[in-house]
Amino acid sequence: MGVGVLTLPRELAEQAGTDGWMVIIISWFLATMASLIIIQIMKKYPNGTILDLLTHYFGKWIGRVATIIFALYFALLANVIFIREALFIQAWILPRTEVYVLILLLSIPSYQIARKNINILGRYSEFVFFMTLWTIIIYLIPLKYAHWLHLFPVLKEGWLPILTTVKTSIFSFLGFEIAFFLYPFLQKKEKASMGVVIANTLSLLAFLMVTIGAFIFYSPDEITIYNEPTIEMLKVLEFKFIERLEIVFFSFYLFVISTTVLPFMFMTVFCTSQLVGKQDYSKHLACFLLIEFAVVVLFPPSFDENTHLQQVIEKAGIILAFAFPLCLWGYVWVHGLFKRRAIK
Amino acid sequence: MKRMCLAILLVFLIAILSSCGRHVPLEDLTISLILGVDLDDENNLIISESSPVFNKDAKKSVETYQLKAKSIRASRKYFDALATGEVTAAKIQILLLGKRVLEHEDWFSILDTVYRNPTFSINTRVIVVDGPVSDVIFYKPADKPQLALHLKEAIDKNNGRSRTVNNTLQVLHRQMYEKGLTPSISEIKKEKNLKFVGVSLLNENGKYVDSLSIQDSSLLLILKDEQKQEVTFTIPMKSLDDEGGIFNKNELSIDVNRVKSKVKTKYDQDKFHFNYKIHMTVTIVEQLFPVGKVKEKELEKMIEKELNSRFKVLIKKIQENKIDPIGLGLYARAYQYEQYKKVEEHWGKALAESNIDVSVDIDIKSMGAIK
Repeated sequence: MGVGVLTLPRELAEQAGTDGWMVIIISWFLATMASLIIIQIMKKYPNGTILDLLTHYFGKWIGRVATIIFALYFALLANVIFIREALFIQAWILPRTEVYVLILLLSIPSYQIARKNINILGRYSEFVFFMTLWTIIIYLIPLKYAHWLHLFPVLKEGWLPILTTVKTSIFSFLGFEIAFFLYPFLQKKEKASMGVVIANTLSLLAFLMVTIGAFIFYSPDEITIYNEPTIEMLKVLEFKFIERLEIVFFSFYLFVISTTVLPFMFMTVFCTSQLVGKQDYSKHLACFLLIEFAVVVLFPPSFDENTHLQQVIEKAGIILAFAFPLCLWGYVWVHGLFKRRAIK
Repeated sequence: MKRMCLAILLVFLIAILSSCGRHVPLEDLTISLILGVDLDDENNLIISESSPVFNKDAKKSVETYQLKAKSIRASRKYFDALATGEVTAAKIQILLLGKRVLEHEDWFSILDTVYRNPTFSINTRVIVVDGPVSDVIFYKPADKPQLALHLKEAIDKNNGRSRTVNNTLQVLHRQMYEKGLTPSISEIKKEKNLKFVGVSLLNENGKYVDSLSIQDSSLLLILKDEQKQEVTFTIPMKSLDDEGGIFNKNELSIDVNRVKSKVKTKYDQDKFHFNYKIHMTVTIVEQLFPVGKVKEKELEKMIEKELNSRFKVLIKKIQENKIDPIGLGLYARAYQYEQYKKVEEHWGKALAESNIDVSVDIDIKSMGAIK
């Protein structure tokens, strides 16, 4: 759950109309499959990360190249989400504050949380999950303005628009490839498969609820006009004691975004520190955040640029999180086959 | 050294906490509660706003201004020049639209800033004014609370009693963009008093075409399936052969407890067919003709007949104007997508040619506390 869900209903509606919710289910299926494959691969080399595994199978140099690629990929992903988060804060909550100030302010807690090790991140995510669980209930309130007729007929234009939209919604599910790195840190490895399925399903339920909520709240002819329908639809909520609830909600949602962006940052510095052979992440993280800050100061970001970058990273994500595990799995399987024969 | 670093960092951070720098105390704000949009005789755009005054020394509790401007946002600088405090739009409760505005197509773009600027409230009630907006916005009755509060309460109450649509900016946006639906907005008129007169109906382009009376608005709400807790009809029993006399002897009032409506959508012989089946459970709350004159079953038939003919008149009005305030386009899209897609752009015309049947089924639950 990250920044993707804020714009997800619009992006789906633009391409697949009100059948967009089916796209999410397909993406969920693909993401779950890919994460199960990742677990299968990691079972072959249970005490190391993917980088150790690649070094083991292909030698040192391939391992190094892979480390660099992964570092770049995670850095880009973290960068896209981090900047988008700041842009959203600027657009919705603090319109008079410069983006670089927001980045700087966000950097400090990010540094505090992500600098040590994966356990702290895990605990933080768990804490945020339980702390923000109630927010999803808010989406039930606008349902009194719902028009279920919008969802019919199912399959308006056939399957084609649905299948071509899958690559848009995949971005929201990206992140499971972190399992490549988390696996050796798991204490109960036999429950890993169960874990990824549950994680993906939780995301699916949240995405479905928000998307279907937006589809029945907005007319299919109007939903594409709103940039962030997910926030916009909360604007109708008004209580006697509080107005503009969407700002409160969004401020709270920042915690949820942070649980997406922080693991990516951690993975980036994990890769880079592995590259130089040190176990001290905090310096690398400080460097990363400083570079991030410098980039934002030198090239002030805009939504258009960010969306463009997001599309690039989507493609990279499809390769790294879907195609790569599949190929690797095939290789590892064939390799195991030959090895067994050799022993005989 | 480490402490030093932290201290420097802290000072630096406090220095950049910019969001706290620009605060405005409530007393220095001019909070618009009503925004009016109208055209004058030469078709110049007139924007007006009304806001409460918090100052003790001021004799009046409300300040209202009206001026010519190119757009709503552009009008803010002129209001700033007139008002004491900074004019803010975040709390606007009522948007008044002059009927002159609605007599032109494509007026909707003037409201762009309302949707684009996230500080605007999307729950602002939209009301059409039959006549100049200035008559309403400058109206200060001695026996009412502030106009914004009065209008908001009045529209919410009338909506709660199913007499008028509750049209917020959010709903208006939806009605303007949705192709299978045309907008309907509550209408007020200033004569001696300010009063609700019914619902204005607009066509696909937002142009005003017709109005519904308060009684017809209830019927519209039932067809839209948006009736609220209370629906009441007072209908004359014409078939009673009783002229009524001074005391309207043939009147009957019913309180509708439950409405269950079903719409069947068909496409046949090159046109759409909508078949409404409305089942109402009613209580008699007033009956001016003597008891025993008609039996309960006959009474049910008579009410059904009367309501059926009223629905028929309403639907004829809708079809003649080529509009769809009910939103039958949504049904057409949901159940006859292929055919709907062909006529989507001119849905009003397609609806005018289609066949809409309403059959009401009345079930009298109670005749009241006396015989």
